[in-house]
Amino acid sequence: MRSFRVAWAIAGREFAALFRVPVGWLVLALYAGLWGGMFVQFVLVPGAPATLRPLFATAAWLMLPIAPAISMRLFSDELRTGSYELIATSPVGDLVLAIGKFAGAGLFLLAMLVATLPLVVVLLMVSDPMPDIGPMLAGYLSVSLLGVLFLSVGLLASTLTASQTLSFLGAMLALFVWLLATTAGRSRAPEGIAEVLALLAITDRLEGFAKGVIDTGDVVFFVVLTGWFVLASSVCLSVRRWL
Amino acid sequence: MIEAVDLQKTFGRVHALSGVSFAVPPGQVTGLLGSNGAGKSTTIRIITGYTSPNAGWVRVGGVLASRDPIRVRRSIGYLPESAPTYGEMPVQSLLSFRASLHGLHGKARKQAVCQAIDSCGLQAVRRRRVGQLSKGYKQRVGLATAILHDPPVLVLDEPSNGLDPGQITETRSLIRRLAEGRTVLVSSHILPEIERTCDRVVMLARGRLCAEGDLKTLLAGGEHELVAEARFRTPASSSEALARARAIEGVDRVLPRAMDGGVARWRVEFDPASIDEAELRRTIGALLASVGAEVRLLERERASLEQLFLRLMEQGPETQADDAEPGSKA
Repeated sequence: MRSFRVAWAIAGREFAALFRVPVGWLVLALYAGLWGGMFVQFVLVPGAPATLRPLFATAAWLMLPIAPAISMRLFSDELRTGSYELIATSPVGDLVLAIGKFAGAGLFLLAMLVATLPLVVVLLMVSDPMPDIGPMLAGYLSVSLLGVLFLSVGLLASTLTASQTLSFLGAMLALFVWLLATTAGRSRAPEGIAEVLALLAITDRLEGFAKGVIDTGDVVFFVVLTGWFVLASSVCLSVRRWL
Repeated sequence: MIEAVDLQKTFGRVHALSGVSFAVPPGQVTGLLGSNGAGKSTTIRIITGYTSPNAGWVRVGGVLASRDPIRVRRSIGYLPESAPTYGEMPVQSLLSFRASLHGLHGKARKQAVCQAIDSCGLQAVRRRRVGQLSKGYKQRVGLATAILHDPPVLVLDEPSNGLDPGQITETRSLIRRLAEGRTVLVSSHILPEIERTCDRVVMLARGRLCAEGDLKTLLAGGEHELVAEARFRTPASSSEALARARAIEGVDRVLPRAMDGGVARWRVEFDPASIDEAELRRTIGALLASVGAEVRLLERERASLEQLFLRLMEQGPETQADDAEPGSKA
């Protein structure tokens, strides 16, 4: 219970801090702008099906610069300013610390998705017949799961360096390689490796959600990998104490 | 109580600490001194759990830091050097957040925050963002976060950093007040400040312990010296007195220094095994009177902390401890 409260306090501070710095508002505006642009370009087209599927289908690539931009300051900024010394000497375990930071960034991601809800309202207002709500809910779930997975990769990157730029670039590069290897790279890879890449393919799993199908296996895939990266981040924090 | 035993820490090829052992008793303020690179910050970071030693151990309040680091960290209030903090947060929110990390919630948290604000004189700036405060106020915020959870152990790294003389005096009083019933370890470069604030000192040089003990004892027991100051009527009488003083049995050296108005200041180094200090004082007094000099000062030389510090830094890391406490040897 105590650990939960502490993690919640860290998450709350992190969430509020993202709204106190320009980068938070910038990321929020960028994401809403990207969604708005794609909505106008691909969804709000006369005769086109009333669905947000084009947005959800490209969610992985849209999230590619957004998640590292949110996560880059989580630990890197603390390491740069020295405030990490304060939280690292608090009676808080490294795992609780990593979970708290991650949860704060996750809450910000949810706020970012809430900012796109007016697009759903517009779609509901202008569509006749009304679009199916199920695929939209599944689509938002997929973007949330994808977002937190990307944030967890960014969290790990931010534990490794005091430079926000390096943290941002490192996380983005890792995610880009991941996406590229499991899409274009898969077709060129030898059979055994291609099978492994297929298992790690994010975009394949997003397609199911976009169709309105919530596969438990896909949800577990995102949850387990996210958990793994958060755990790895806490291990990196513990290793820091020995350096 | 803090016990550090045989602490060793290396950064690559650099030996930051090489077998440092010392104790910080409760109810006293202990100063941690050393020149740049002596290992002060590393020592403090090991005690507060920020970093782990390669060898050796730290016990805080009887708890081994390696065995129960969370409990040890809970018992410590820590002010890091230059008081880094979250500049975008208002003072009150920051303190509230820090209190949450220490497990304080609801009424207890509010009370702790109010007390810390009162103790550190932060009422006027409680709603302002920390990043907008002066260096002095930031330092006070750092102190407030350190005492927030009423810890039995306080570790303060350069607590007077950036404060004006008035604030330094206030901080000194605050530290002395906080020391009652607590274990306080203060690291500072301002030696007169350490001299005024601390009861004990631990000195480090090149990653090794070079002195540990009661401050008064260390300052008094460093040298066997007397200082004499007298106004002589003529230079000849001064020279004669100097020659006779040097001839006194048990006197090793007399180092004269001319001052304004015919006044000379002697530093008399003597061997206590050959001559008693009181007897030497009487002999020199009589000698000066016999040449018609007006004695202005004749007392035991008391080294300042600065002098002691410089001497020990020159000597290097050879342990000088005033008492036989466990772990007092490097």
